[in-house]
Amino acid sequence: MGSHGTIMSALDLRAHSGTPHRSALSRRAVIAAGAALPFLARPTRAATTPGRLVFGLSSYPPSLAPWANTGTAAATARLMFHRGLLGYAEDGSVRGELAESWERAADGAWVFKLRDAFFHNGKKVTAEDVAWCIEQIAAEKSTAYLRAQLQDIAKVEIPDAKTIRLHTKDPSVTLPLNFASFYAPIIAKDSFKDSPHGIGAGPFMLTGEERGVALDFTAFDKFYRPGLPKLKTLRLIAYADENLRVAALQAGDVDLIEYVPWQSMTAIEADANLAMQSTPGPFMYLTFNGRVKPFDDPRVRRAVAHAVKREDVIKAAFFGRGTPIGGLPIAAGTPFYDARFADTLAYDPGKAKALLAEAGVGSGFTCKLLSTAQYGMHKDTAAVVQQHLAAVGIGVELVLPDWPTRVTLGNRGQFELAVMGSSADSNDPDGLTPFIASNVTASYVRSTGISTPDIDRLLAMGRTEFEPAKRRVIYDQLQQMCNEQVPIVALCFRAQAYAMAKRVQGFKNLPGALTFYSGTTIEQTST
Amino acid sequence: MIWFLRRIGTAILLIWVVASIVFLAIRLVPGDPAELLLSQGGVAPDPATVAELREQLGLDRPLPVQYVERFRLMAQGDLGRSLQDNAPIAGEIARRLPRTLELILAAALFAVVVGIPTGVLAANRPGGWLDRWALLQSSVGLAVPVFVIGTVLVLVFAQTLRWVPAGGYVPLARDPGRHLLLLAMPSLAIGIGLAATVFRMTRASMLDVTQRDFVRTARAKGVGPRRILVRHVLRNALMPVVTVLALHMGTLLGGTVLVEYVFNYPGLSGLLVEAVNARDYPAVEGVVLVISVLFVLLNLLVDLIYAALDPRVRHA
Repeated sequence: MGSHGTIMSALDLRAHSGTPHRSALSRRAVIAAGAALPFLARPTRAATTPGRLVFGLSSYPPSLAPWANTGTAAATARLMFHRGLLGYAEDGSVRGELAESWERAADGAWVFKLRDAFFHNGKKVTAEDVAWCIEQIAAEKSTAYLRAQLQDIAKVEIPDAKTIRLHTKDPSVTLPLNFASFYAPIIAKDSFKDSPHGIGAGPFMLTGEERGVALDFTAFDKFYRPGLPKLKTLRLIAYADENLRVAALQAGDVDLIEYVPWQSMTAIEADANLAMQSTPGPFMYLTFNGRVKPFDDPRVRRAVAHAVKREDVIKAAFFGRGTPIGGLPIAAGTPFYDARFADTLAYDPGKAKALLAEAGVGSGFTCKLLSTAQYGMHKDTAAVVQQHLAAVGIGVELVLPDWPTRVTLGNRGQFELAVMGSSADSNDPDGLTPFIASNVTASYVRSTGISTPDIDRLLAMGRTEFEPAKRRVIYDQLQQMCNEQVPIVALCFRAQAYAMAKRVQGFKNLPGALTFYSGTTIEQTST
Repeated sequence: MIWFLRRIGTAILLIWVVASIVFLAIRLVPGDPAELLLSQGGVAPDPATVAELREQLGLDRPLPVQYVERFRLMAQGDLGRSLQDNAPIAGEIARRLPRTLELILAAALFAVVVGIPTGVLAANRPGGWLDRWALLQSSVGLAVPVFVIGTVLVLVFAQTLRWVPAGGYVPLARDPGRHLLLLAMPSLAIGIGLAATVFRMTRASMLDVTQRDFVRTARAKGVGPRRILVRHVLRNALMPVVTVLALHMGTLLGGTVLVEYVFNYPGLSGLLVEAVNARDYPAVEGVVLVISVLFVLLNLLVDLIYAALDPRVRHA
């Protein structure tokens, strides 16, 4: 103890040896510095600069290659500096972008008339650029998302510099949707030698890339829509942590965020300084492996559909922010929605048990449900499905690997039952093809080992039928057929929301499956 | 000299073994980089497109061929290019490594400034109010996970008080003030736990050293209390503290991921996790290689500090 006392004395001695004046000054300095910290170091608020918008993305785009699918964050970023022939208006209708008009000619060709538009290198957008892009996308060595679709184009004609005619192998009513896709931007011919992303004609020019952090844009003064874009500069910052993304919006670091987490929606709605726009777009669903009994039996698949209470999934995974689906994921209010088929597969455990008995598995069975622990909504959905299937006698073991493993297992067909979440390519029922078609290769987004030729036939008919009334009949039949064959069990639409400071004007969350095209409206957004 | 060269040789061998294990391990886990890149956003890619991309990325070649090519490039100092966007890995690591080092050093500085004086004072009066208070605080600091500390800091200082940005990164050259502001919270989040460790190590070590014979002898010889504290007790007590701190700092090279995530801080750990999630093989291998090299260098540095603190090591 003596030694301790000695050390303390030494410390006391040192404290008292300094002048009282210096000591007091030091204390005052510390207190003053602490008090002044919030004022001295106040961070710059995002929208204190007029004409500037800071947009919080959910992730940094892994690649900005123009035609490959590299995620929704990349798609949003591409919409800033690239545009295609067509795009989507606020109400979800197809509108002209680089094409000012488009029609189907008497000979069956699709004819696109280009408007006077310029690429960011100052050169005019010509039909030759469009033809080159189509050629690149459809090329044998291409990695473009729409490669197979554009390989259906048999011939490209260029009557003049502002007209392009496309002849398809089969009549295609959905071809304009391909050219409205953010996977089909038009870039200047041979511009990869000037930029790895190509040179586009979008409303903003890409002026800075901090890999993994942010992308910077400035307004393109020769954008083809007069008076737009309204913003002068734009910064896209990646916030992978959803809670931090919300915190950044609330703290004023950013003006606008995507992928608002469901748990934060109530707080954002209650915040007088913030606004939120939500749409029931992406959806959660179950896929089957038909090679594993008894999921080869449509009655068992129907039983699974009737066994799951959708509202519980919405409560557990989305904090009540969703809409139950009792048929195909076609949203109410869209042209092909039909209430007659919307609740056919709704929650009915009694019916589920009866169907299982009818299929010869009334005493129950066990299976493995593949999902992922990496994303809360997938994991929570799986947990609710497990509970409800147990209630009708189906014992479920959860398999929750990381996302990459889940994707690989799905693509290899190494699962029995799986949870998945995605969004259709468009609000047209043809956009559901990747999820319900069976005459395509195995993929983690759809069931495997289930042959449904009638569904495939109806999908093909829908793509080639130009008469709206007849097309409607085809998709009515498709919905009926899907409710019988159950290629997937759609569970619920999840609310997909953008939140923004109230001073942000003009931004619109596009409806339904087009929610990820909302970046288009940044051109009309102001702060 | 021979001892030093042997250490260097062992280190190189160790780094090669680590790099080889990582090369094999990342390829053995399920998940194909081409498939994952083209499957972003729940989208089904065309298998022909995936096959084409695999060919372009060289993933279709036999594993031994990939191994030889990979290590041939690494031996030349070329860490390769990202499978995602073809960006050079070395450039990305060169951008991110200083950020993580800065974060770790700032956290270590906080830990040393807080932990060592508190440890000395607490050891001076074991069982006193300061000792009990500091022990309690250090227990809390060690028990609370770093992401909880981080989230609380964001909630209080960014969302409620709005004193600091919620997160992010600005280069020092562009805006020094904002750079330091953005560094403060993540380094504090790491530093709190680290300070608790440093405090406990300092306290325990001080208590141990003050009981030693040479301290009693020095006091008996009439050496002044300040000299005993600084030259005899603290100097000897700091050796285990330096070891633990250095080991923690080494671990933090790849272990700041949670803090980087919570504060959106684009450092090396975040790059590693992103690369693993995307199965970006060259990026994973490049980052692990750099971390391995730094870890080895850090251990050598510890040996040198040991030698500086304890002359017996120099003469051994």
